[in-house]
Amino acid sequence: MELIVNLVINGLATGMLIFLLAAGLTLIFGLMDVLNFAHGGLFVWGAYAGIFTYMYTESFLIGIIGALVAGAILGLLTEKFIITPVYGNHIQQILITLGLMLVLQEMIKVVFGPNGVSVKTPSYLAGSWEFGDVIIIKYRLFIIVVGFVIFGIFQYMLKRTKIGLIVRAGVQDKEMAQALGIHIKQVFLYVFMVGATLAALSGMLMAPYSGVIYAEMGMEYAILGFIVVVIGGMGSFSGSLLAAILVGLAGSFMAYYVPVLSLAVNMILMAIVLIFRPQGLFTIGKERST
Amino acid sequence: MMKKLTWKHLSFVLMLAILVLLPFVNDSRTLIILLTQIFIFGILAMSYDILLGYTGIVSFGHAMFFGIGAYTTAVMLKQVDTTLSIFLLSIVVGMFLAGIVSFVVGLLTLRLKSHFFAMLTLAFSGLFLVVAEKWRSITYGNDGFTFRAPEMFKDRITFYFFVLACLVVVFIALYRFVQSPTGRILIAVRENEQRTKSLGFQTLHYKVIASIIAGTVASLAGSLYALSLRFVNTSVMTMDITLDALLMTIIGGVGTLVGPLLGAAVIEYAQHTLSGMARDYPIFERWIIFFGILYILAVIFFPKGIIGSIRFIISNWRRKLKAKRKTPPALSHEKEGFE
Amino acid sequence: MMNTLLKLHDVHTHIGQYHILQGVNFEAMEGQVSVLLGRNGAGKTTTLKTIMGLTPASQGDVQFQMQSIKKSPTHKVAKLGIGYVPENQGIFSDLTVEENMKVAMRKEDTAAMERQQYVLELFPDLKKFWKKAGGHLSGGQKQMLSMARAFINDSQLILIDEPSKGLAPIVVEKVMEAIVEMKKQTSIVLVEQNFMMASRIGDTYTLIDDGKTVHSGNMKELIQNEELKRKYLGIG
Repeated sequence: MELIVNLVINGLATGMLIFLLAAGLTLIFGLMDVLNFAHGGLFVWGAYAGIFTYMYTESFLIGIIGALVAGAILGLLTEKFIITPVYGNHIQQILITLGLMLVLQEMIKVVFGPNGVSVKTPSYLAGSWEFGDVIIIKYRLFIIVVGFVIFGIFQYMLKRTKIGLIVRAGVQDKEMAQALGIHIKQVFLYVFMVGATLAALSGMLMAPYSGVIYAEMGMEYAILGFIVVVIGGMGSFSGSLLAAILVGLAGSFMAYYVPVLSLAVNMILMAIVLIFRPQGLFTIGKERST
Repeated sequence: MMKKLTWKHLSFVLMLAILVLLPFVNDSRTLIILLTQIFIFGILAMSYDILLGYTGIVSFGHAMFFGIGAYTTAVMLKQVDTTLSIFLLSIVVGMFLAGIVSFVVGLLTLRLKSHFFAMLTLAFSGLFLVVAEKWRSITYGNDGFTFRAPEMFKDRITFYFFVLACLVVVFIALYRFVQSPTGRILIAVRENEQRTKSLGFQTLHYKVIASIIAGTVASLAGSLYALSLRFVNTSVMTMDITLDALLMTIIGGVGTLVGPLLGAAVIEYAQHTLSGMARDYPIFERWIIFFGILYILAVIFFPKGIIGSIRFIISNWRRKLKAKRKTPPALSHEKEGFE
Repeated sequence: MMNTLLKLHDVHTHIGQYHILQGVNFEAMEGQVSVLLGRNGAGKTTTLKTIMGLTPASQGDVQFQMQSIKKSPTHKVAKLGIGYVPENQGIFSDLTVEENMKVAMRKEDTAAMERQQYVLELFPDLKKFWKKAGGHLSGGQKQMLSMARAFINDSQLILIDEPSKGLAPIVVEKVMEAIVEMKKQTSIVLVEQNFMMASRIGDTYTLIDDGKTVHSGNMKELIQNEELKRKYLGIG
């Protein structure tokens, strides 16, 4: 029993981190029709910027703020200089964001050095609680809570605020949104920045969880993010939460029971979904916005 | 028209003559190895161009076919025998396997839109990488294994000529393919798939053909690559290989065949010199940054690549000349870029 | 003397490599229903899209209230006071009727609320399905919602693209009544294939053929002119 609980907590924590990464991807895709292959670069920059701020200031909270700022700035620059010139051209988008991914990843090595950096969990989040035989690692619980809180905030914003309405309208019909007086390019920019910030936050939170950060982690986790977006349905926000949890749980259970398959299970999941249900598992019919 | 053709032929023959004569003039080992490497990646990049440049699809799984070729050759030379015939057989077997895999993967994936297709090829390629890592009894996992080359190819120069011959054959074959009616339909798919479909062509059918051809040619490149190193490990299946092919194709010029060759030369050469310079200037260890930036700039400003841009300039220049002669300006529909 | 609200002068529009509009001249007067007529593919929808800035003009000029909007992005055109009801109605299908109205409403002041009250009286169906998703409405209800959305802001001009398309005659009748009613408060540019409808509510007409304006004048004259109708509309 305690094994199951631990595996579930593990899976949920990983799932939440992937969700934060995928949430930006899916919003950007749904609204701007851009699949951002550089998303992992924003993730790893968030991790490095945040962790270095954390090490310098010795405050995890300021570290998180550092990651968020880095994400927002990079998101701004990426949208303005990389994405804008290739709007509407899928192949060029794939190519250019992939190029940016390479540059961001290598820049990490130039700025922060080519070797991995080990990361310590802040003392107040380190350690674990014991309930009988069940041991709950504090930091994992923290990640899960943060993930759900952010999901809640975004869900509220999307469903209940005017900004959320505008984003949802833009996801469905950009031309019409413009014809109603919405400055869609500005909305694009903000959404892109928010997505980049979430990716950076995910990277930052991932760092103490995995204990070490390195330049290639961006691409590794970005692939998980893509898988989640595909399984959840591109442009579907709640779909990506469910898919992220699914991927997280599948990963944690497989790693324990069938370790050989743990690397492949997500790829297989995605391949099956793409072949049999390309609109995503968690989308109902054509509805895929919220 | 005739004049243009002979000019093209002439430069082709001239280039070939230089490459054939070169080892007799300068047999520097580094140069020969570098050129061999360029030819091999040239073959790979040309195969990628069939997908990206001629059919307009981005595949993230090209390394999978390269890897199939590399492993087939390496495993057969290690496990069966190190003769020339086994090597040639391994090329055929590799191409055959790659053909089957690309057929199946193509059927499953090519119905999807560009993003999904790219993702799914990435997934399949990832699965093959996992297989290569886990099937240790054959592949020795991450560490890989060395093997002996057939007697004949122990000489670098003989191998150079063999690879050059492969390159020429592949180039001519692919050139004829893209000029063929099937090749024309692929270009139509790239320009406007919907319209091609409404003209009554089974576009999926043609895309699968393109995918099979690209896959088998990539496998050939993989076989040659494995033999050139006499070593294979999982790196032949990684995304890096696909990225290399992509960079070469984009920088050289998509949809031109010659472009990817040129791209292969530029990138392999630069990689060679920059990693040499890295010993003195550590910044060059990160040479990939320069390519990343170059590549981004190319996508934004020169989506046609080197060859495409040159062609564009020449055709513009010709049009201006014509306009001066007061012939009515013909509307040029030349569209080398990709959608 | 009525004022010219919108004026298109020798407008050319390219979409990709296609030269769709090749010289459209068109005027819409204040307080009138100006109808764009022509065969399928003549360029009527593109004319509306060009006015909205969705397919910007490459040549010529588009003026709204004496001010050029040729280069204005779509959202600015909308904010100047031009509402748009596209051919496919452009309803956000995942959003409820209420949310569709809310997205459109640029200022949520009392004037907007009054206008909302007014359109809801005009289209009681919308009130009935207030919480229903846009995608689940019938064709006629979508048309009404789209028109209501264009009307909710203080628009001086509303562009309506083929409102009768695919609707049952009884619903067309309702839509027509609504347009006549809306005309009291705003000016309207109407694209319409249904000549019966166009001739009943239109004040002026402009005939477009092959991307060019070929004729324009008072609707009453066109109704009498059998030759024009036969030549460009295939009727009579």
